[in-house]
Amino acid sequence: MSQIARAFAISRKDIESYYGKPPLLTWGLLFPAVLILAVYLKDQAGYLAVAPGIIGMTLLFGNTSMAAIVITFEKRAGTLERLLLAPVTARTIVFGKALSAAAYGIATSIVLTVGLVVFLGMPLARPDVFAIGLVLGAGTFSLLGIITSVMVKEVFEAMTLMNFFRFPLLFVSGVFMPMSEMPGWIKPVAYISPLTHVVELLHLGASGEAHFTSPWVPLAVSVLFFIAFCAVAGPAFRRYATR
Amino acid sequence: MHQDEQETQVAVKVHGLRKSYGSLVALDGVSFEVSRGHVFAYLGPNGAGKTTTINILCGLIERDGGEVSILGGDVARDPVFVKSRIGVVTENSNLYPELRCRRDLEYMGEIYGLPGAERRRRAEELLDSFGLTEKADAPFGSLSRGMKRRLTIAAALVHRPEVLFLDEPTTGLDVPSAKSLRGFVRRIVSDGTTVFLTTHNLFEAEELADDVAVLVGGRIVARGSVAEIKTRVGSVRNLAVRFSGDVLADALKSACPAIRSAKLQEGVWLLDVVNLHETLGQLLAFCQQHGHWIQDVGAKEPTLEDAFVSLLGETAQPDGRDGP
Repeated sequence: MSQIARAFAISRKDIESYYGKPPLLTWGLLFPAVLILAVYLKDQAGYLAVAPGIIGMTLLFGNTSMAAIVITFEKRAGTLERLLLAPVTARTIVFGKALSAAAYGIATSIVLTVGLVVFLGMPLARPDVFAIGLVLGAGTFSLLGIITSVMVKEVFEAMTLMNFFRFPLLFVSGVFMPMSEMPGWIKPVAYISPLTHVVELLHLGASGEAHFTSPWVPLAVSVLFFIAFCAVAGPAFRRYATR
Repeated sequence: MHQDEQETQVAVKVHGLRKSYGSLVALDGVSFEVSRGHVFAYLGPNGAGKTTTINILCGLIERDGGEVSILGGDVARDPVFVKSRIGVVTENSNLYPELRCRRDLEYMGEIYGLPGAERRRRAEELLDSFGLTEKADAPFGSLSRGMKRRLTIAAALVHRPEVLFLDEPTTGLDVPSAKSLRGFVRRIVSDGTTVFLTTHNLFEAEELADDVAVLVGGRIVARGSVAEIKTRVGSVRNLAVRFSGDVLADALKSACPAIRSAKLQEGVWLLDVVNLHETLGQLLAFCQQHGHWIQDVGAKEPTLEDAFVSLLGETAQPDGRDGP
């Protein structure tokens, strides 16, 4: 059986053990839904300016948090060590874990998006671009969660470490404020944030309007971030998983 | 390279293994061989480097130096080849607590590359042979400690490994569970599996092992068969003697220099002796001199524990090195 088949086995098991649980699905949906509803109630015309950003933010927080919970839990229970003793490479384990975390993020985002389209009439000008944004965001942020959490032992350590970059990313990535309205000095920082480009793709996919008029730049940058995290995740996992 | 060594009778070959954690030397040139189909007991006090050795052999940590060959492969260079042919039971029972026992075994089968039908059949077979069929649908986390241990060992056998590493397999188990586990180990060895065992239970090591290596402070201080290790402390170490009258310990010890220590227990003197023949001669002379006679005498072969304690005494290190 190939390493890919084993990665799928790891992923299926994680979905069965962690992500498929109703409380987690509810948590992943309720938080963004309530936030978008609050914005919608305040400004029914303006909610569309922040809804894609909130979906992107949910992907960032949901996927990094879930990956961190799973990795630190398995480290503590010794099951991660059990996996490392098996004939699977570090890359296979990372791929399997990221796949299940990404599936969770994509599933909750799709349910949220369908809810927004059905109940609030959110447009989907380019569903293909929107879907690519979801997939790249879910994959990139899952890998980011794995890379960060494998370096620590406890969930709170992982969360603390991740909050050092998650909250600043919210501030600079056009989640609540469109890129065009950002002060000039923030823009260079925004361009090097992976969340910015995911949010841009979601905006383009939903309303068809964003800071970048074409999806190619945010798409290319998002793919580069994804590849970079893929390249870093395997060696980081090999180095820190048994510590 | 793999085939050459596969054809030999050596399952595990370690030469000059070294590992340090900063300034702490955990393994300092460790060398040993484990024959195929044998039980190899790797003994040592806490912090001797046993778990570090296992972690290196199983590919969990990297070594600083030395050669390691398991079934002809080097886990550092060819981890998938080696890991697919070994099974490892770590000190903790580390299966997935939320999964049902059957699913835990099937998942392990999947990870080790067993096809669907075979892993389902193998899971049932192992549940049956480890007496866990009734618990097949119970979550692993709900099992008793003994049952968890049994399922953990079963999981390590899913892919029929040629070498099984058992790190403290009976720690924390009650006597019947530990006895039952020893029975399982004997059974898998009779099926041709090589077992690499670390344990603090020297009775267990003596009962199961063909070969023994004693590790102290990161160095092997004794190696050989159980019988060979025991001869390191002489053929007979302990005598139980009942005298016809009261005897004082000081008088006994000064008359019999071959006695290392003497303890009176319920009227019987338990003697730790250097040499059996010398001691018997000295005891007879002592009795003659003090007007006693020997009512009863019994000799006891040294145990592996006696040998182990003696080896630790010989190699005692004042710095008390302790591995991480």
